[in-house]
Amino acid sequence: MAPFTTEREKPMRTRNSAVAALLALPLALTGCSAFGVGGDDSGDGVTLKFQSLAFQDTTIAATEEIVAAWNADNPDVQVDLVQGSWDNVHDQLVTQFQGGTAPDVIHDESADIMGFAEQGYLADLGPHLSDETTAAVSEDVWKSVTTSSGAVVAAPTLLQSYVVFANTDAFTDADVEVPTGETLTWDDFQALAAQLAEGDSYGVGWGLQQPTATVMNLSLGFDGTFFSGEGDATAIEVGDAELAVPERIHSMAYDDASLDPVSLTQSGSDVLPGFFDGRYAMYVGGNYIAQQIAESAPEGFNWAVLPPLAGTAGAAQAANPQTMSVAAESEHVEEAAAFIEFFMQADHQAALAQGDWLIPASSAARDAVAEQTAGENGWEAILASGEGLTAAPFQSAINYPQWKDQYATPALQQYLADEISLEQLQQQLTDGWAELS
Amino acid sequence: MTALAAPPRPRRRSTDGRDAWLLVLPALLPVMLFSVYPLVYGVALGFTDARAGLNAETHFNGFDNYVELAGNGLFWDSFKIGLIWAFSVTILQFLASLGLALLLNLDLRLRWLARTLALIPWAMPPVIIAIMWQLMLNPNYGPVNRMMDAVGLPGSINWLGQASIALPVVIVVGVWAGMPQTTVTLLAGLQAVPAELNEAAAIDGAGTWHRFWHVTLPALRPIIMAITTLDLIWNFNSFALVFVLTAGGPGGTTMLPSLFAYNEAFRYGNFGYAAAMGNVMVVLIGAFLIFYLRGQMRRRMQ
Amino acid sequence: MTTMTRTSTVGRSPFARPLQYLALLAYMCFLAFPLLFLLTTAFKTPRELQSPDAGLLPESLNWSNFTAAIDKADLFTAAGNSLLVAVTTTAIVTAVALPAAYALVRFRTRMRAFATGWILLSQVFPFILIIIPLFLLLKNIGLVNTLLGLVLVYAVWSLPFSLWMLQGYVASIPVELEEASAVDGAGRLKTLAKIVLPLLAPGLVATSLFTFINSWNEFFFALVLIQSPDMQTLPLALARFVGAEGQVQLGQLAAAALLACIPSLVFFMLIQKRLTAGLLSGAVKG
Repeated sequence: MAPFTTEREKPMRTRNSAVAALLALPLALTGCSAFGVGGDDSGDGVTLKFQSLAFQDTTIAATEEIVAAWNADNPDVQVDLVQGSWDNVHDQLVTQFQGGTAPDVIHDESADIMGFAEQGYLADLGPHLSDETTAAVSEDVWKSVTTSSGAVVAAPTLLQSYVVFANTDAFTDADVEVPTGETLTWDDFQALAAQLAEGDSYGVGWGLQQPTATVMNLSLGFDGTFFSGEGDATAIEVGDAELAVPERIHSMAYDDASLDPVSLTQSGSDVLPGFFDGRYAMYVGGNYIAQQIAESAPEGFNWAVLPPLAGTAGAAQAANPQTMSVAAESEHVEEAAAFIEFFMQADHQAALAQGDWLIPASSAARDAVAEQTAGENGWEAILASGEGLTAAPFQSAINYPQWKDQYATPALQQYLADEISLEQLQQQLTDGWAELS
Repeated sequence: MTALAAPPRPRRRSTDGRDAWLLVLPALLPVMLFSVYPLVYGVALGFTDARAGLNAETHFNGFDNYVELAGNGLFWDSFKIGLIWAFSVTILQFLASLGLALLLNLDLRLRWLARTLALIPWAMPPVIIAIMWQLMLNPNYGPVNRMMDAVGLPGSINWLGQASIALPVVIVVGVWAGMPQTTVTLLAGLQAVPAELNEAAAIDGAGTWHRFWHVTLPALRPIIMAITTLDLIWNFNSFALVFVLTAGGPGGTTMLPSLFAYNEAFRYGNFGYAAAMGNVMVVLIGAFLIFYLRGQMRRRMQ
Repeated sequence: MTTMTRTSTVGRSPFARPLQYLALLAYMCFLAFPLLFLLTTAFKTPRELQSPDAGLLPESLNWSNFTAAIDKADLFTAAGNSLLVAVTTTAIVTAVALPAAYALVRFRTRMRAFATGWILLSQVFPFILIIIPLFLLLKNIGLVNTLLGLVLVYAVWSLPFSLWMLQGYVASIPVELEEASAVDGAGRLKTLAKIVLPLLAPGLVATSLFTFINSWNEFFFALVLIQSPDMQTLPLALARFVGAEGQVQLGQLAAAALLACIPSLVFFMLIQKRLTAGLLSGAVKG
């Protein structure tokens, strides 16, 4: 038997619809249309369902505009925009893929879709994308949406990186210079934080309630790759390079008290008020937080984005782009891919990027953003941090999500709460992986 | 599962049976279709190696899942947490709700307002409840810590972020969220306690406590049994609230078994293995419930 | 005639009344405080929400969160859908569960063991694992993306609870009352209508409240089943204000959640009287 696929249910269809009619009978009196039964897709052309996860008002508006423009140009292929939400997209897609009712065009992120891709639910877009679109995005970012068998299952749209935000007034008050330059080393970062910490306030607030993704990403700056090999042979290695970032954070929290240990147990948005308040002179978070700062910081709050954090291997971070994919079971893969191609145009991406305060994967769109924003509001540093984004081994390790939930996250949470030692952390991370393979 | 109440004096058996079927049939038909089918499907899945995947093949694998599960320490840890959570929430919820129901049953002024306000937690979806409590419990700026600070108590407790207290705190939120349904149920039950019984006892000079213990409580027993059983099951299976509040953290201290099974199915795609966890939960909790219900029935019969 | 005496005889000590009010006040603080918090949050500007020094009360009555929330999530359509689904579900469940519960308690049949077993099994097996087969079933009979599909699922899901609770209420009605009526020569139907139903009214209210709220609040199944924006239910609309990585549009979310609460609270206020109504009309001298 093939549970969760539709195969074996098919012979029952006629009988089932008779039952449905029977069940619907009493309700017919109350008006079927009110319950949405019988509403049919009409018309001759193709209708594509596009589920967007746009969250910020500006991005929603930009998305609607793009869809409207497409619909005006393509009367035969109409795109039907459906609003989804980041919080539940994964569960929704699992169920809809099983039931064969997934939208044609799917908006998500690389970290989430690659599992679906390996399970065969996403169409290969490789043959459908133009050279122009392909060339605009770096090889490294393409790698983050390519399966082990070489299928390109998504077009990467927007990227985020982890950046350090600084309250420049606090720097002035403490008589500390705001760093400039290409990158900021972890040593300098820690030294800065120590200089800025005094009395009740800390140098840094860092919402690390879910620490794994951040640690995995930033570890690339020390060449901490965690995984090697492919498929079932993927092996883990947790050495000095991998432990550098957690150890540093731990030391800032507990050795020199330049980082607030309480903030490590909170989410990014929980910590933000403390940054506005002057409790933290610096705040580490996704670059998109700039949007919230611009919108809700108190009057006269002066801030900047510091140069990207760099370890011994430079300012590398893992690229986890937002993605546009097509369901493998869609009846209109070609049309859907054409819409994605349209969606990927530089001016469209630039508009979306500014709405979400994210970094476009396409270089042409990055240039457009740089020009349109004139580098204001931290955009210069944000766009610069996009240069160091690359594909990382953990993104293609099959058991990564399970290892992350069951072992890495609890272990890192405990270590960052100073409940276990570095050796125990190393042990738990390594043993956890062994348990799963 | 024996009778909860004595049957009426014998009338003619055969018509009774037919009447019963006529009354129950409308409930049974849709139920067979929409609940038994998915349930049987789900239970059967627990004996297969079903995985997520387009056209993935599935085979029966007998008890392989259960052998593997027996050695899965994380699952049993989570099962233990589930038991602590379910029993604590159910018991605390029952005691708090019983007190509230008794108060709301009194002829107090503004009773209508109190009754409405008592249902507030019910008026919000669990997701909203969780987000709201997260904000209220924020260690730096949440109103809970601020109020504690204002009255001179320690005002910087990291409620949800500290492994040693996260579970108790989540339990309090669980009690809060589940109180209305238990309260309303008990309140309705109190209405069915025949007033005559109470009056008779009062006339006999029985004190408040005595009457509560010997009249109200025994009359309420079927309701109490029904609601505590269900509360226990629901709490053991509760999902949305804790999922948003802590997602099982910090350090796995609030990883309820339903979260665990959910991860297995929805995040790692091991449907068969996850369903096996569901089956284990059904068997263990079911065994406990039968035990509990039997005991209650016996007490009733005495 | 007999109803009020009971309540007034409780607690004859002079301290009892004040203590009772005090206890009730404590309960109310515990249960209602979060609503107050939601209320104040809904009126705050994004800037106030992010400011740690801001008081618990908003600086001014700022309605922009409400207008933005209504505008963005199409709350009225969603509320209409939720209401339709919840009311229909409640009607179906009550109509089906009431006779079935009575039969389960008053007639000894083999059905009973089966029904009890099924009720418990259906509630113990994690709902999250039933969702996929249920979804497939609905898909095959063409009910994906329909409110009717939601109604069916919610009805079936609430039915065990209603049955289970109602049989508890039926069991707590002394059989002697019915027998007395039967001895007086009343037929079974008349006995049911005149004796059982009034006594059962509070229990019915409690169970239908439950069914209503359950369907009103359900999120996950609605999420996977409903795709068209014009068929969204309220919890789906509320999810619009929660973004990735814990980002929340707090003010708008609070405003929307508050608006979403109001129908339930009004409904509670209207129906709470009924939690005692059965007694008033059904007082029977044994």
